[in-house]
Amino acid sequence: MDERERMAIVESILFVSGDPVNIRDIAQILDMDLRLVRKLMEKMTDCHSFERRGLQVIRVNDTYQLATRPEFSTYIEKYIGQQSMQVLSQACLETLAVIAYRQPVTKSDMEAIRGVKCDHTVTILQNRGYIQEVDRLDTPGRPYLYGTTDLFLRSFGLSSIENLPPLDPGQDPGQSGADNS
Amino acid sequence: MSYLVKLDQFEGPLDLLLHLISKSKVQIEDVSITEITEQYLETLHTMKQFDIEIASEFLIMASTLLYIKSCLLIPKSKPDPEEEEETDPKQELIDRLQEYRKYKEAGNWFRKREVYYSRVFYKLPEETSVEERKEFLSPDVSPALLCRTFMELLDHVKNREKRKEKPVPVVHEIKRDPVLLKERVTQLRDYIGQCARTTFFKMLQSGDRDHTKDEIIVTFLALLVLLKENDIVLQQEYPFEDIQIIRKGVVYG
Repeated sequence: MDERERMAIVESILFVSGDPVNIRDIAQILDMDLRLVRKLMEKMTDCHSFERRGLQVIRVNDTYQLATRPEFSTYIEKYIGQQSMQVLSQACLETLAVIAYRQPVTKSDMEAIRGVKCDHTVTILQNRGYIQEVDRLDTPGRPYLYGTTDLFLRSFGLSSIENLPPLDPGQDPGQSGADNS
Repeated sequence: MSYLVKLDQFEGPLDLLLHLISKSKVQIEDVSITEITEQYLETLHTMKQFDIEIASEFLIMASTLLYIKSCLLIPKSKPDPEEEEETDPKQELIDRLQEYRKYKEAGNWFRKREVYYSRVFYKLPEETSVEERKEFLSPDVSPALLCRTFMELLDHVKNREKRKEKPVPVVHEIKRDPVLLKERVTQLRDYIGQCARTTFFKMLQSGDRDHTKDEIIVTFLALLVLLKENDIVLQQEYPFEDIQIIRKGVVYG
């Protein structure tokens, strides 16, 4: 079996799955070494980008998924109709930023930074599936520690949390954003 | 004539302070506490005039500002070498503002990213059932069974005709709804959360008493709710067979 064929197999598996597929599952199906599968997936991702296919392979942590390209969304929306999107409020975005950069973090840490209560915004972010309770702090009251989820990474076009741009004051972090396409 | 004035929305006292500082076009480090305190209190007054409820956080910040201002007015006592170095409340506030600004700006970056990447579309998983299709008729159907079933059917029809002859006044009793659909949905969601797959019949076996018709109906309705909310997958081999309930996201087959 050559590389091309293996990539084709993975592509069909990603298609059937729809959901993100773990690299370990791919390695098991192909009966291949994990390290080689990583290389194969990198190549596959590059191929899809290079050939400017309609679908891209996105990586979030150790999972891979097929997705459309954002630059074709105008045409997709011509077909399915305009998609309405509920954008997060400024308060939610601030809270999310604190959690993303400071995780794992408690509610009182967030409140100390933002200077306002964060219960409501945390609930909204949890319902969106962007954050989750990852642990509890071993202090009185055992407060929950919050962290971001894979869905958060996917929704913000990040392959892993290390891809977040550095938190520099005065600098527009939009300039140094990581791209996973 | 009454009219409404739209004020800028502030996410909190720190946000308001940042706004005031940027309005007076100074760097955070160079802020004048006297000026900023005045502007801050003025804003709170305006908010009061427009009947805007002022959150307690804004009042705490007001007192912090006044405290810093008073510290600046009182001449500093000679530093006591025994005592730990006291933190400068003004510097503390400046640090907080700078820290907060970082996350506020990061929030703007997140907004752009979310809007851009919301234009990426994904596909739902295939609903494939790997189990083999069973024959509609199980192999133990015998002519005798068919005969018996037919006799039962005839009886049934006969009974119905009998009932028709003697019409009994129908009394409908409307009972209070003992099982709430909402409660049942929550119960089921917890239950499915614990065991990834179960069946409809199994769910009705829980508990030591028989389930009433109402309960069975509500349970079925709850299943439909979960199905609609995309929490579960339902499978049924053939009509009137037990319904397989599988949590979404679990590999089945």
